[in-house]
Amino acid sequence: MALYVYAITAEDHPLDLDEQSGVGSEPAPVRVVASGPLCAVVSDISEKIRAKRRDLLIHQEVQERLMRGGPVLPLQFGYTAADEPTIEKVLLKGADGYLANLERLGGCAEYHVRASQDEEELLRQILSETPEARELNERIRAGDPDPQLPLTLGQLVAAQVQERQEALASGLVEALVPFAREHTVRQASGADFLNFSLLVPDDRREEFRAAESSLAGQIGDGIEIRLSGPLPPYSFVE
Amino acid sequence: MTMVPQSGSAVSRGGGGSTGSLYDVLELILDRGLVIDIFVRVSLVGIEILKIDARIVVASVDTYLRFAEACNRLDLEAGRKAPAQLPEVVGGMMEGGARGKSKGALTGAVEAVTDSLTGKSNRDDEEPDEEEAEEEPVPRRRRPAARRPARREKE
Repeated sequence: MALYVYAITAEDHPLDLDEQSGVGSEPAPVRVVASGPLCAVVSDISEKIRAKRRDLLIHQEVQERLMRGGPVLPLQFGYTAADEPTIEKVLLKGADGYLANLERLGGCAEYHVRASQDEEELLRQILSETPEARELNERIRAGDPDPQLPLTLGQLVAAQVQERQEALASGLVEALVPFAREHTVRQASGADFLNFSLLVPDDRREEFRAAESSLAGQIGDGIEIRLSGPLPPYSFVE
Repeated sequence: MTMVPQSGSAVSRGGGGSTGSLYDVLELILDRGLVIDIFVRVSLVGIEILKIDARIVVASVDTYLRFAEACNRLDLEAGRKAPAQLPEVVGGMMEGGARGKSKGALTGAVEAVTDSLTGKSNRDDEEPDEEEAEEEPVPRRRRPAARRPARREKE
């Protein structure tokens, strides 16, 4: 019977997992495989599991229950071990590294910040503050058939979009980094211009939240800041 | 200005969250976290659609033309003169309208992903089993419009 592995914790973690069921179409109870100073939190799964969105939510639910009881190393979604001896071997072999990581992440949680900007609002700003773009836009709207005009306008606007959003992103990062023990900025995707994770010590949580919400209040119209957390330290486990 | 604070994770609390955050957290769950080499990863076939990576500002002719068209479409006068609350109220009451309105050159990709996450894409036809499995255990966790909570604040 294969085992789905959720997380690694220290052996002294309270591991409050009562009635927590696991991933899979026939969920088994979440349980623990212990080895030396570490525990792996697992549940039995049938061999041919195919991940569903529900499984992602269960994976996260287990992490959240665990993080209430102490430091946790969340696994990336979807990893399974063939059997218990395989897990015991991993825990034994990696013990020093896992313990060091648990120590490093103790008393902290991850907060994830994304920011996006309303497109119309941004373009409006750019047109009103960039005479050259405004003029090109008006010529096109007045019916000037020169095929070069849209390209020139688009290029100008794209450069402005990038410049403005990079400035916004780095301003947000700079303002929040002082509250974090570690941080990581990743490539933003979709409509976002910021994808930013912080490892915030629990004793600075309130300060951090206050700073974030005051930033959100000061930042311009049409910008949405989304804060998720406290989360298990997905972005900081290694 | 709008913001959507999440007390705890949107994933497990469902009701109070915005999909923006649900989607945001799912990306962490799928792409970050500890990886143990000798473990085997389950098939991610039904959910790999989550992994998009479309950076908004790409230097290409397509991007330039999209931005130019978006500028041409802007009604600058109306934008300046219309009472600020009106569009918000309409957007809040008419979910569909609000979502349609936000679908511009920047947001198209995210809408597509949100739709697929919330089961609105045609992938549903191919995967009825997945939808069934989800309906009852997580009734309130899949909500589309990322901007809705923000709009509610303003009403």
